[in-house]
Amino acid sequence: MSSLQRRGVVITGVGVVNAAVVGASPALGTWLRRPRAAERSRAVGAREAVRLAEATLAGLIDPGEGRRLARVCRLTLAAARLAVAEAGVDPAAGLGLVVGSELGDFTSTIAFADGYLARGPAGLSALLFPSTVMNTMAATTAIAVASRELSLTINVPTISGELAVARAASAVAGGRVDAVLAGGVDELDPLVAEMLDVLGDDGVRGEGATFLMLEAEPVARARGASILGRIAGAAWRSLPARPWGVGRQVASRAIHEALSRAERAAPGWLYASASGDAPRDAWESRVLAAALGPRRFPTLSLGAHLGHHAGLGALHVAAAAWTARAGLLPDAAGGEPARVGGCGLVHGLGRGGGQVALIVEAE
Amino acid sequence: MRRVLVTGLGAVSPFGAGVKAFWAGLAAGTCAIRPLTLIDAEGFRCRIAAEVPEIAAGSPRRSRADRLALGAAVEALDDAGLGGEERGETALVVGAVGGGMLEAEGWYWARARGERAPGWAAALRSMLPAAHGETLAHRLGLGGPRHTVVTACSSGAVALAEAAELIADGVVDCAVAGGVDAVTRLCFMGFNTLKLLDPAPCRPFDRDRRGMSIGEGAAFVVLEAFEHARARGARAYAELAGHGMTTDAYHVTAPQPEGEGMVRAMRAALAAGGVAPAAVGYVNAHGTATPQNDRIEARAIGQVFGSGRVLVSSIKSMIGHTMAAAGSLEAVATILSLTHETVPPTASLTTPDPEVDFDCVPRIAREAVIEHAISNSFGFGGQNVTLLFRRA
Repeated sequence: MSSLQRRGVVITGVGVVNAAVVGASPALGTWLRRPRAAERSRAVGAREAVRLAEATLAGLIDPGEGRRLARVCRLTLAAARLAVAEAGVDPAAGLGLVVGSELGDFTSTIAFADGYLARGPAGLSALLFPSTVMNTMAATTAIAVASRELSLTINVPTISGELAVARAASAVAGGRVDAVLAGGVDELDPLVAEMLDVLGDDGVRGEGATFLMLEAEPVARARGASILGRIAGAAWRSLPARPWGVGRQVASRAIHEALSRAERAAPGWLYASASGDAPRDAWESRVLAAALGPRRFPTLSLGAHLGHHAGLGALHVAAAAWTARAGLLPDAAGGEPARVGGCGLVHGLGRGGGQVALIVEAE
Repeated sequence: MRRVLVTGLGAVSPFGAGVKAFWAGLAAGTCAIRPLTLIDAEGFRCRIAAEVPEIAAGSPRRSRADRLALGAAVEALDDAGLGGEERGETALVVGAVGGGMLEAEGWYWARARGERAPGWAAALRSMLPAAHGETLAHRLGLGGPRHTVVTACSSGAVALAEAAELIADGVVDCAVAGGVDAVTRLCFMGFNTLKLLDPAPCRPFDRDRRGMSIGEGAAFVVLEAFEHARARGARAYAELAGHGMTTDAYHVTAPQPEGEGMVRAMRAALAAGGVAPAAVGYVNAHGTATPQNDRIEARAIGQVFGSGRVLVSSIKSMIGHTMAAAGSLEAVATILSLTHETVPPTASLTTPDPEVDFDCVPRIAREAVIEHAISNSFGFGGQNVTLLFRRA
């Protein structure tokens, strides 16, 4: 008996901060009706990437508070607060936090190292050091939103955001906590872009944060919360691959397990983690085909629109909740959305072999 | 909820490779904190650390941390006797912080000098904390759910708690869980900069303590559903009877002064295990030897168990603070204290802090038959974890 069969998990709040969307679920829904790709630039690294304008981010955080926080922490906090506000959850009743990130606060880490390389021990900043630990976004956000239950930072290439939501759903379903704020965040950094180029990741990079408020369904209903969608099943697995590598195995039980927990035979439509990283995208296509058979499901990834970052996977879950509610799957080219029915599968397959599947349905 | 047993142990510690060496060092009260050799400590106030003397596992092309993790995880799997078929369905949860940063720092230091360091691509591939999980899963054929948690110094303990939840919830029957960290320049320099390192080997719970010592290592355990372990006739070291995970939401680096989050974590672990405070005989403390941590932790332990009522010790006095590995190495030490009926000492404790109203087992291990013991781990960001073990 899986945990997700014990207590329903619903989405009651969404917060999105990226180059195309800033806001809660209404803002995301408006954008999803005709998604337009955010502008790419070469402001960070040699290749084009999708960067959030600094002025936009500055407008989301009080300047006094923002001065004390690294940029990636400000991204996290801005999206988290939007989700908390939309959900109307009282953190004092017990709130957990699960943050997915691929890269953490690399900018501060590099600045810390540069201080030493420039001036030796005297050049080191005591203020920067805590930011070199990847849980710095969770730490600062937990303080700001008064999250006092479990707090996790999950690191995995490509699928950190989806996995954070899946892990949080499992904690809610298992009765360990009634509400969890879960999502993903990453920022662009020139050195990171250089390293990813070295590693052969040729996907479109982006930055931003998306957070969802997940609640136990009985608790959400009892307080009269607006329910944006339900996570009916979730599972994650490991496929063999070298670190940062693309594997060959296509058989995996993650999708079947997620469907089984949702008591569904098949999804009606898919959000996949394709990002333009050709070998990884091709591997994911083969894995999906092996699990779902020859039928072609309406499938979308917003990676090309927003650039890949850990917030994207969480955004796919929020977008899937919108699709389930509206019965519409956005058109990647910005045209009319397609009518779809049934539940949605949000799928992620990362370099290194991490895989996650979530089944999302309407209330 | 299903019961969770510990059926395999693995450790690579500053005492060397293997659980046997780890326990021998702890039981003897040996301090493994020595002059630092892995990185340049010139110009820093503290120049010591507890380094792993020799790493046998894995190719030298792998990161030092990956090799530490491989050594411990292979030992745990072999100890549990989990075969290839079962491994395909076994979960893997890794607690990590530094990843392969030691080698990535080498790349970056060379880059700053305008040089191109050898093995740079491999260093970058293994740099992130998640790389350990990818290496272990790939090498050991672990095909179940896998994730990497980063909760600073409590990461290793969180990994065990996470894996226990997967088993208790019926998602998997078996899991490999643990933490790993190698000494890195960033970590060593950072704690020096915060003035949290003692120039001499650390002295947890001592009146004259001056801070931590850095260490490195890895520990992994095999956790297994009670019914599954019984069906295959596996030996159980202990039961992971409960855990608690809480957040202070107070300060990024400083613990909440009253230890409120620590208290909640300990009480949550006891509640999950259905164990009364009076049934616990030993607390393997986080015990970093910073003036602040030890005083606040002792206060929190007092609130939960009653002043002076349990034995308390910190193995960091012998192996230093091994960062993401600390929670899992200390979990293994706690389990071994149950099986060996011996509590490891706080090795360097000579003048007990009068504000710490507990028997902190100074210098010499203590024979004690204990039914339940807890292991505390706390991290930057106020990330508190308590693991509760029951004698098998």
